[in-house]
Amino acid sequence: MLQFDQVRLPAEAEALRARVRAFLSANDQYLTHRNSDFSSGHVPAFSALLGEQGWIGMTWPKAYGGSERSFFERYVVTEELLAAGAPVSAHWIADRQSGPLLLRFGTPAQRETYVPRIAAGKAFFSIGMSEPNSGSDLASVRTRAEVDGDGYRINGTKLWSTDAHRNHFMIALVRTEAPSDNRHAGLSQLIIDLRNDDVDVRPIRNIAGCEDFNEVVFKDTYVPRDRLVGEPGNGWAQVTSELGYERSGPERFLSAYRVFVELIRAVGPNPGAEQRRAIGRLASHFMTLRRMSISVAGMLDRGRDVVVEAALVKELGNNFEKLVPEVARLTLPSQGAAAFQAAYTDTQLSSPSFTLRGGTREILRGVIARGLGLR
Amino acid sequence: MTDAMLLDSAERIFRDHADKALWDQAEEGAFPAELWQALVDNGFAAMALPDSGFELADVFALLKLAGQYAAPVPLAEALLAARWLGDSESLAAVGFADGHGGATAVPWGRQADRVLVLPALAPLTDALQLADLAGEQPLAVLTVDRAAVIAGKNMAGEPRDQVTGAQAGTVTAETPYALLALARAVQMAGCLNQVLQLALDYAGERAQFGRAISKFQAIQHMLAVAAAEVAAAQRASDSAVAALGTARFLPDLASAKARVGEAAGLVAEIAHQVHGAMGFTHEHQLHHFTRRLWAWRDEYGHEAEWQGLLGAEIVNLGADQAWGFIATPA
Repeated sequence: MLQFDQVRLPAEAEALRARVRAFLSANDQYLTHRNSDFSSGHVPAFSALLGEQGWIGMTWPKAYGGSERSFFERYVVTEELLAAGAPVSAHWIADRQSGPLLLRFGTPAQRETYVPRIAAGKAFFSIGMSEPNSGSDLASVRTRAEVDGDGYRINGTKLWSTDAHRNHFMIALVRTEAPSDNRHAGLSQLIIDLRNDDVDVRPIRNIAGCEDFNEVVFKDTYVPRDRLVGEPGNGWAQVTSELGYERSGPERFLSAYRVFVELIRAVGPNPGAEQRRAIGRLASHFMTLRRMSISVAGMLDRGRDVVVEAALVKELGNNFEKLVPEVARLTLPSQGAAAFQAAYTDTQLSSPSFTLRGGTREILRGVIARGLGLR
Repeated sequence: MTDAMLLDSAERIFRDHADKALWDQAEEGAFPAELWQALVDNGFAAMALPDSGFELADVFALLKLAGQYAAPVPLAEALLAARWLGDSESLAAVGFADGHGGATAVPWGRQADRVLVLPALAPLTDALQLADLAGEQPLAVLTVDRAAVIAGKNMAGEPRDQVTGAQAGTVTAETPYALLALARAVQMAGCLNQVLQLALDYAGERAQFGRAISKFQAIQHMLAVAAAEVAAAQRASDSAVAALGTARFLPDLASAKARVGEAAGLVAEIAHQVHGAMGFTHEHQLHHFTRRLWAWRDEYGHEAEWQGLLGAEIVNLGADQAWGFIATPA
């Protein structure tokens, strides 16, 4: 049976919480469009401010611009930023995935080049995994990188790369050897300089009318050999560890948090019984998911493998993120308060992505089933 | 005795006694005297007494285990009643004032010598606040008139009797309604562990279309959802236990009773679907657990009632204080 131990946030993490709240109230000019969805709100100036505070790359070595803080302290900063609806998407992937990946697998030169800039909130990364014919079945990627002189020549297309049109770099999963019987062999990761390499970045409009994710096309794109991350052919092991880092954080259940806040505001001081119950129901889920997520932060701090537990938190959390706008909508009159309608509309239109990004619900249920010994 | 040894010894007792035959006999009205005596002999009946040397959290760990084995004895009420009476000399129970000097819904009231009477809170009214459940409350003590007991039962077939008797003073109990609700939350959490395990085992054993049904993706996804709900129920109820004695207890309890109750309904549904018609037979053991889940989620306040209390608390604080409330540590 899966175990989520009781974990109490240490005193230094709670002390940091007060600092984050003070910082947010002093910088509330960045909170004009409050949205708790981690992938909405690309504001480089705000990311740079967080970098100054030491709140990006918090657990990384000081030698690379990190703060050597605990996973609990990072947890607190993350949940406070998301709950307040702060714009965090510019540095998000660099902080959560690319930085840890480079620290673990990158060359010393790569670590020195990129990681301190990430921690400063000045180098932003996108993911380059999916392709037109490779979604959940990531091992089927076809983008090729062939050795050409002292570098690689890349051909293919990456898809759903969030903020590739705004960010500086992408880490692309590419095939460096011809496909073989071992589907996971022959894959490698390359750093793409989105602003200087010869790539075609085409924004794709989503159902909310926003251009956040992109198609990134490589046509004989040349990158020097020193952009290779880790060993050639080790790409599969690297991306799976990268995905494993981040499935249990507060971003997996807080995306709809601002809808909850506006629901409470719209309900006012004299709610009906149904309204109280709806608010209490959502609160009981927020409180429980938060405890589960903190429990996983504890496992991460002890260096434990959390693949199954993280998948489980994401499964529960993402479904809940879809439940929040649905319950809130039906708890208020159909012609409700403007502030509520704005938060609700944003979240409802983003909601299909909640159970897709970072591993679909169906893939995660497979991960949990494996953890239960069913496959 | 360490906590782990204590729980091991309790688990041995539950495993040795709680089986299909005992559940059926208890449902027919026969008190499981041997199981109860084993618990008394090992000191568990006195475990919640203020000077027992145990924490309240240990008592709830025991109750969770009792839920996991569907132990058909009124352990929660007996232990808490003993605590409030200050002795465990004979089986005591708890019930709700019936408005005529007696008590209703008394677990195994027919077996008890004394019954503590809670004010009739259920259904929790809209005017009630969490704060109303805080602090100490006086409970009337009834000496049970055995001849006048009217037998009743809940959906799980657990005795819930109507009791009258002579008034024998009052005792003072701390947050009695909340502690009883916590008892049901942890019992459900234990019971949910067992229901998930039964469903996993059955899916692995039952073959259709030439393979174990656990190999079908549809079944795997149902069980994954059930496992997630069970994990949420554990975390919610454990959090409320950890908050015992702190200012955070009532909000965490409200959250737990509501969240565990939601999980109970969902997991029972999935477990029955996985078990197919086999699990719908009286002969199978599954219903002794699922009927308890259905009964316990309604006892001492169901989901909507606790959600209402928790929601009122948040509404009173206001929209911009809601996050501070959610993120408050126990």
